[in-house]
Amino acid sequence: MKTRVWVLIFAAVLGICLFFVLRPRGGAPSMVAAIYVDGELARRVDLNQVQEPERYVVDGPDGSNTILIEPGRICVEEADCPDQICVLEGWLPDFGFPIACLPHNLLIVMEEDAP
Amino acid sequence: MSTRRLTRDALLTAVALILFTVEAQVPVPVPIPGVKLGLANVVNVWAVCTIGPWDALCILLCRVILGAFFAGHLMVLFYSLSGGLLSWCVLVLLRRVTTRRQVWICGVCAAVAHNAGQLAAAVFVTRSAAVLAYAPLLTLSGMVTGLFTGLCTQYLLARRLS
Repeated sequence: MKTRVWVLIFAAVLGICLFFVLRPRGGAPSMVAAIYVDGELARRVDLNQVQEPERYVVDGPDGSNTILIEPGRICVEEADCPDQICVLEGWLPDFGFPIACLPHNLLIVMEEDAP
Repeated sequence: MSTRRLTRDALLTAVALILFTVEAQVPVPVPIPGVKLGLANVVNVWAVCTIGPWDALCILLCRVILGAFFAGHLMVLFYSLSGGLLSWCVLVLLRRVTTRRQVWICGVCAAVAHNAGQLAAAVFVTRSAAVLAYAPLLTLSGMVTGLFTGLCTQYLLARRLS
């Protein structure tokens, strides 16, 4: 195939991806966070209902994560995984993507308001 | 398997493993799971383009298994394996339709395929489609890092031929 064709294909894929990354998200964001451990729902928190900051420790077979739940936001404060990606991802919902700690199979997702 | 072939494959495995291990020591500035430079992709693309798919597959499998030991986490094995095998399949398909001046295309497609395979593994492991939210980001990062590693491979091949 001509190089030009490939460049066009890549440009199209690039455009589509940029659109999905940068698209404005309509409506009020959901404020219910769901914490999944090993694919199972471990806890669901309505961040609007949180009064006091709370630490929630998830002890899995592979390691532990300390999740900090504050009024209106949630993050992983501490983890004993090597890459620390889940800690660096910062706060939900500001981050805009699920917080994932893949070595420990932990996932924090913002859900729709309905349970 | 001749001694020459065995030695060459072992040497390439060692090179890939060194790249993989050294890269793992450097923190990634982007906090997205799965985003990395993927320097071992250079060896992967080079091997498929020059010495054929089956030797490349051997090198890939050895590197992935040994790399998981060095990384010290079993999960690494699963993610690298699914990403590596998918990128290998893509490379095998692409090597027939690309020329020596289009090796960067192989690099880009291999890196994107690697990230897609990893994402599929992540969906399987977390049993949640929520991680698919990372798909556009991982595709973007795969294209950028794949362009880099692909160009590295292309210049490497050009140098060898001249």
